[in-house]
Order: sequence, then C-alpha cells, then structure tokens
Amino acid sequence: MSSKENMLYVHPVPVRLWHWINASGFIVLIGTGFQIRYAESIHLMSLNHAITLHNYIGLIVVANYFIWLGFYFSTGKIRIYVPDFPRLIPQIITQVRYYGYGIFKGDPNPHAMTSQNKFNPLQQQAYLAIMIFILPAQIITGIFLWRIAGYEEYINLLGGIKIIDTVHVLLFFFFISFIIVHCYLSTLGSSMLAHFKAMVTGYEEHH
Amino acid sequence: MKSMSTVTRYMEACLLAACTLSFSQALALENSECMECHSDETLTKESTDNILQMELTKSLYVDEAAFNRSVHNANGITCVDCHADIEELNWDDDLPHAATLQPVQCVMCHEESAVEFKESVHMAMRTKGITMTCYACHGYHSVKQMASASVSERMDYVCLKCHNPYQSHDWLPSKEAHFANVDCVVCHSPEAPRHTHLRFFDLAGSTYYQTDSLMEKIGVKAKDFMATVDTDKDGAVNRDEFDDLMLRLKLKNIRTVLHAELVAAIDASAHGIVKQGAQKECSQCHCSNSSYFKAVNFVFTDPDGGLVHHEVDRSVLESYYVSHFYLLGGTRIKLLDKIGLIIVACGALVVLGHITIRVLTVPWRRKHSADSE
Ligand code: HEC
Ligand code: HEC
Ligand code: HEC
Ligand code: HEC
Ligand code: HEC
Ligand code: HEC
Ligand code: HEM
Repeated sequence: MSSKENMLYVHPVPVRLWHWINASGFIVLIGTGFQIRYAESIHLMSLNHAITLHNYIGLIVVANYFIWLGFYFSTGKIRIYVPDFPRLIPQIITQVRYYGYGIFKGDPNPHAMTSQNKFNPLQQQAYLAIMIFILPAQIITGIFLWRIAGYEEYINLLGGIKIIDTVHVLLFFFFISFIIVHCYLSTLGSSMLAHFKAMVTGYEEHH
Repeated sequence: MKSMSTVTRYMEACLLAACTLSFSQALALENSECMECHSDETLTKESTDNILQMELTKSLYVDEAAFNRSVHNANGITCVDCHADIEELNWDDDLPHAATLQPVQCVMCHEESAVEFKESVHMAMRTKGITMTCYACHGYHSVKQMASASVSERMDYVCLKCHNPYQSHDWLPSKEAHFANVDCVVCHSPEAPRHTHLRFFDLAGSTYYQTDSLMEKIGVKAKDFMATVDTDKDGAVNRDEFDDLMLRLKLKNIRTVLHAELVAAIDASAHGIVKQGAQKECSQCHCSNSSYFKAVNFVFTDPDGGLVHHEVDRSVLESYYVSHFYLLGGTRIKLLDKIGLIIVACGALVVLGHITIRVLTVPWRRKHSADSE
C-alpha cells in the first residue's frame, strides 16, 4: 500500500456519509419501484409493503439530500462543481477523447485530481446536473405522488398526476442507467477499487 | 350484454310502475290530496316512536318539491304506494286516515336489495338490538337517482352520515386520494359490478359538460354522439376514436380535461357489506390487467336529470388527455416501459462495449507501453 504522503484527502465525512446512505437508499427505491410498477409480475413483497417502504426510504433520501446540499453550500466547497467556463468545452473534448480512445491506448488520464479539483469536467457536469436538477425533480415528483390529495393544486398546475408520474418513472429509468455507468466508471481509478476505497476512507491514491 | 341489462331493468321498472299505477288508480288517491294537510309546516304529532322512547314532537310536513325530484316520483310511485295501509281518505273526520300507520315496507318493491341486505353487517346489528332501516341510508321522500352521482356525492349521501373513514384504514396509503376517487362500496362490496366514470370537465366554466353542451360545440346533436364518435361502429370508443374526438375539441378551442372515478353500479349487490369482506389486496386494482378497469364509460347528465353512458375502451385511460387520473400500475402507460428499457439498455451497452474494447485492446496497450520504455 502507498504511504500517507501519496494519499489525497478528497471526500470529507459528510460527503461519504451522504453518498452511502444515498446509494443504499437508491437500491431499495429501485427494487420497490419495480415492485410497485410491475405488481402483476414481480412478487418480492406485497404492494402495500412496497409502497410503505418506498415512501419511508424516499423521505430518508430527501433528508439526506439536504446533508449534501448543506455541506457543499455551508463550506463553500460547491466551487468544485463550478467549471472553469472558457476551458470547459476543450476540457470536455479532451476527457471524452480519453474515455473513447486514450484509455484503450494506455494514455494517462488527462485530469489530475487535487483536493480542490477532484472531478474531471465530465464528472463535474454530470454530478452537478444530477444534484441540482434531476434528483430534485425526482424528489418533488415523489413527494407529490406521496400526498396526491394534499398537493392537488400544484399537481394540477403542472398538468396533472399523469404528467408527474411520467416524469418520476422516466427519471427512475435514468437513475438505473446512471448507476450502472457510475459504478463502472468508478472502477477506472488507479486501481479497480481505488475510487471505492476513497469513497469509504476519504483518501484517494495520488500519483 | 350491457344494453340487455339496461333493457331488462327498464322493463322491470315499467312493470313495477304499471302495477303500482293501476293499484293507485283503483284507489284514485292523488298526492295532492295528502298534501292538503301535509304541506303544512306546522303539522306535528307527539310520538314515542324513537330510540329514547320519549315523547317528542315529530314533524309531519312533507317537502313536496323534494318529493317531486325523487326517483320514486319520477317512476310514478305515489304516497299511497308506500303508505300502502291508507286505502281511502275519510274526509268527514278531522283525521282522514288511521292515527298510527304501519311502517313502510321498502321490501315490497325492492326484494332483491332486501335479500342482499340480509347478509350484511348492517343487518347483523339487529343481534345487538339496533335496527337499521333502508332509509337510514337512502332517506325516503327524496331518494335520489344515484347513477350519475359523483363519488363524493355518494359518500356524503350514504356512508359518511355514520362513518368517518379516517378513523379506520390506517393501512391504506394515500387515503385522501382513495376516498376522493373510489366509492366506498367498490371496496366494501367486492361483488358489486363497477365502472370507471369519465367526465368531460369544462375548464373555462368549471363544471361538467353535458352531452348537448359538449356536442353543440362541434356541431353535432347530443343523440348522435356515438354515431359521430364511434367511427368503426363497434359500440365502444377506442383509443383512436378518442384521440380524434379530443383533437376536434381542441381545434374548436374547447378547454376540457377528463375526470375519472371508480364507482359501483346501482345494483342490489352493493348492500353485501360484511365484516372483513372488503378488498384489501392493493394489487387487485394496481396491476395492468386489473378487472376493476374493464368497464369504462363516458358519463353525461342530461338536462332532464337522466344519465347517459357511452362505453369506452379501457386503453383510453392510458391517454395523456386523461391527465388527472393515474392509477399506479393499473393504468400504466406501456410506452414508458419501452422507453425505460431503452434508457437502461443504453447504459448497460455503453459499459459492456467499453469493457469489450478494453479487453480487445490489451495487446495494443502492451505494445504501446513497451514502446515508451
Ligand atoms: C285532513 C288532513 C290530512 C290528510 C288529507 C292526510 N293526512 Fe296524514 N296525517 C294528518 C294528521 C293530523 C296526522 C297526525 C296524526 C296524529 O296526530 O296521530 C297525520 C299523520 C300521517 C302520517 C304519520 C302516521 C304515523 O304513524 O305517525 C303519515 C305517514 C301520513 N299522515 C300520511 C298521509 C298520506 C300518505 C296521506 C294521503 C293519502 C295523508 N296522510 C293525508 C292529516 C292528514
Ligand atoms: C318511497 C316510499 C314513500 C313514498 C313514495 C312516500 N313516503 Fe311518506 N314515508 C315513507 C317512510 C319510509 C317514512 C318514515 C316512516 C317512519 O319514520 O317510521 C315516511 C314518513 C311519512 C310521514 C311522517 C313524517 C316523516 O317525515 O317522518 C308523512 C306525513 C308522510 N310520510 C307522508 C307522505 C306523503 C304525503 C307522501 C306523498 C307526497 C309520501 N309520504 C310518500 C316512505 C314514503
Ligand atoms: C311501490 C314500490 C316502491 C316502494 C314501496 C319503494 N320503492 Fe324504491 N323504487 C321504486 C321504483 C319503481 C324505482 C325506480 C326503478 C328502479 O330503479 O328500480 C325505485 C328506485 C329506488 C332506488 C334507486 C335509486 C337509484 O339510484 O336509481 C332506491 C335507492 C330506492 N328506490 C329506495 C327505496 C327505499 C329506501 C324505499 C323505502 C323507504 C323504497 N325505495 C320503497 C319503487 C318503490
Ligand atoms: C348501509 C347503507 C344502505 C342500506 C341500509 C340500504 N342500502 Fe340500498 N343501497 C346502498 C348503496 C350504497 C347502494 C348503491 C348505489 C349507491 O351508491 O347509492 C344502494 C342501492 C340500492 C338500490 C338500487 C339498486 C337497484 O338494483 O336498482 C335500491 C333499490 C336499494 N338500495 C334499496 C334498499 C332497500 C330496500 C334497503 C333495505 C332493505 C336498503 N337499500 C338498505 C346503501 C344502503
Ligand atoms: C345509519 C348509519 C350507517 C350508515 C349510513 C352506514 N353504516 Fe356502516 N355501520 C353502522 C353501524 C352502527 C355499524 C356497527 C356495526 C357493528 O359494530 O356491529 C356499521 C358497521 C360497518 C362496517 C363493519 C365495521 C366493522 O366493525 O368491521 C362496515 C365495513 C361498514 N359499516 C361500512 C359502511 C359503508 C361502506 C357504508 C355506506 C354504503 C355504511 N357503512 C353506511 C352504521 C352505518
Ligand atoms: C381501497 C378500498 C377501501 C375503500 C375505498 C374504503 N374502504 Fe373501508 N375498509 C377497507 C378494508 C380493506 C377494511 C378492513 C376491514 C375489512 O376487511 O372489511 C376497511 C374497514 C372499514 C371499516 C371498519 C373499520 C374497523 O373498525 O374495522 C369501516 C367502517 C369502513 N371501512 C368504512 C368505509 C367508508 C365509509 C368508506 C368510504 C368513505 C370506505 N370504507 C372506503 C377498504 C376500503
Ligand atoms: C451502488 C451504487 C453506487 C456506487 C457503488 C457508487 C460509487 C461511487 C464512488 C466510488 C464515487 C467516488 C468516485 C468519484 O468521485 O467519481 C462516487 C461519487 C459520487 N456518486 Fe456514487 N455510487 C453509487 C450510487 C450513486 C447514486 C445513486 C448517486 C446519485 C443519485 C450517486 C452520486 C454520486 C455523486 C454526486 C458523487 C460525487 C460525490 C461528491 O460530491 O464528492 N452515486 N460514487
């Protein structure tokens, strides 16, 4: 193992805590989500239990979201998510070229991780979009579906319950797809498990 | 099937009305004769016929206007058809009929309902010494025709008089949504046939459209509704015909949305409410092949208070025009499942593709790193 000097502290405690609660929450939400939508062909648990579990876990994920939001905004660390605009496009092209070509050839990753700049621009933009738009959209539609009668006015303003549900379902599929790609990408560190370890211990191996 | 049963019901009603009509004609006792005294709001009597067995003053006033709107009046049932022990009015006396009349037997005419009611929890109360009459639920002089009533009207009119559903049903998620859209008896009398009622709601006027008011906007007579809409003449409005209709309305700038509700048919089997007999299996409703959504109807109330039902194919419930009704699982939009499969498959294929290329390019990387050393 590498010594402490080669290690970079990238994921503070609140981020790690948030992340693993979020990840396990999502797994349960996806499982119960399938049970709710396909009750006639999946029989993991009764529909009633699936809905109750989905609601409770959903609320935990919502509360957890505020840990993330609170941490990044209160510490000002949200800066790591703000791109260096003039260089963003070229950087993204470089990063895409790496994943689509350089990585096969054995080129080094063009993005060098530092604790102020832990994400490559692709990660940065994807995570930002997810945390600022997509996850909140899922949360809001989820809360509306949880108390349909109570939020009737807002639901009707947005075009009706069917629209709300359609958004929730499409994002559900998106998150499944995201998790597959996300897990794969996180094996592409300096070793297969490097990023995973970092998300557990906080320290990423440094080169 | 459906039109058959409507016809037989109609015939039964006619028969009933005919029998009773000839019966009352023989007596020739007109409602107006009773109303000579009973339209007096101050007419009362002292009575001990109440649960407290106390002497209380009972009003003998009959609201004629309300009676005239009732389903019984509409079907030719007169005062003495129900108060059948009044055979004649003796105008020489102050009181032209017996002071104490027999209790009205609804069962005379509604045997089937009475049979179903016998088996129910509300009848079983008799063992505890409480008798529940038919009119505890229905009322008597102003029994309304309920076929066109909304879920909330039905509940207010019947079950909510005695029950607060929020005190039970702790297990039920989204209680408010269920109670707003599902008739109590749909769950509590699972044997009763049920329909999904679809109504055109006028967004501009905030009311429901009636057949004539909706059709006149697209220049069609109300009675030609099906002839116009059901272009393939199979007796039901299918998805394409529905989309055409909505498009025509849209072109005329008519802002309407469809409201849907799950109600029980007006049928004697609605009375079969038994303890622990309710539908508790959520997935009976919330699955794509649920039997609860077999019968879907457009519902219009006609100016004369009558009801018009037009059969609709259940796939119409999947339409985005019915945007205010969505039943988890039950009216699932199948297209979304296909889109979902594509989204997930894309993610998986990108990963698998990337891994494959990485494996295939191992020799290239080896060569490359050897070169650079
Ligand atoms: C001349 C006036 C008069 C007419 C006409 C009349 N009623 Fe009455 N009715 C009364 C009075 C007075 C009482 C109260 C009797 C008492 O005090 O016990 C009464 C009582 C009743 C009751 C309550 C009986 C009970 O057991 O408490 C019914 C039901 C009723 N009438 C029905 C009718 C019907 C139906 C007709 C028409 C066929 C009719 N009445 C015509 C004067 C009239
Ligand atoms: C559908 C059957 C039905 C018809 C039709 C009907 N009644 Fe009644 N009526 C009842 C019942 C049931 C009661 C309640 C008896 C009781 O409380 O024991 C009642 C009660 C009454 C009473 C007692 C006061 C009260 O409101 O409880 C009067 C008076 C009366 N009816 C008069 C009339 C008159 C007049 C008409 C015709 C305009 C008429 N009824 C038509 C079923 C009927
Ligand atoms: C003399 C016969 C007669 C008596 C007695 C009678 N009804 Fe009716 N009732 C009818 C007829 C006729 C209809 C209309 C046809 C039908 O719907 O079956 C009707 C319809 C109904 C309906 C159906 C309403 C709907 O939604 O379509 C109800 C509920 C009802 N009656 C309740 C009662 C109650 C409660 C009593 C006793 C207080 C009673 N009836 C007494 C003849 C009677
Ligand atoms: C617990 C309340 C309750 C009681 C008590 C009750 N009903 Fe009903 N009845 C209903 C409901 C609910 C319906 C279904 C229609 C609706 O939703 O209004 C219905 C429907 C009916 C209908 C229309 C069905 C048809 O086939 O046309 C009749 C007639 C009727 N009831 C008569 C009676 C009679 C007669 C009694 C007494 C033996 C009685 N009801 C007792 C609740 C009740
Ligand atoms: C006139 C008052 C009244 C009306 C109206 C009424 N109920 Fe009831 N209901 C009662 C009473 C009283 C009991 C209690 C019976 C007992 O505890 O034995 C009861 C019992 C029940 C039960 C069984 C409760 C248990 O302990 O398991 C159900 C279910 C029920 N009612 C449903 C309905 C529905 C659905 C309607 C509407 C169609 C309705 N009731 C209308 C008075 C009413
Ligand atoms: C989604 C289906 C559903 C709907 C809608 C529904 N119920 Fe129930 N209800 C149930 C079930 C399941 C039970 C559990 C007892 C049973 O199996 O009968 C129950 C229990 C009850 C009980 C008895 C509670 C106890 O103490 O045991 C009453 C009373 C009752 N319901 C009344 C109503 C009334 C009134 C409405 C309409 C406002 C209504 N319900 C709507 C499914 C439903
Ligand atoms: C089982 C599922 C998951 C695993 C194994 C996993 C793994 C990881 C790992 C190893 C990292 C660090 C690597 C990196 O910095 O890119 C990471 C970061 C991240 N993951 Fe996940 N993840 C999972 C699910 C999720 C889900 C469901 C979401 C969001 C909906 C998510 C959002 C994120 C975000 C936003 C980061 C960056 C964290 C930060 O702000 O520092 N992850 N994940």
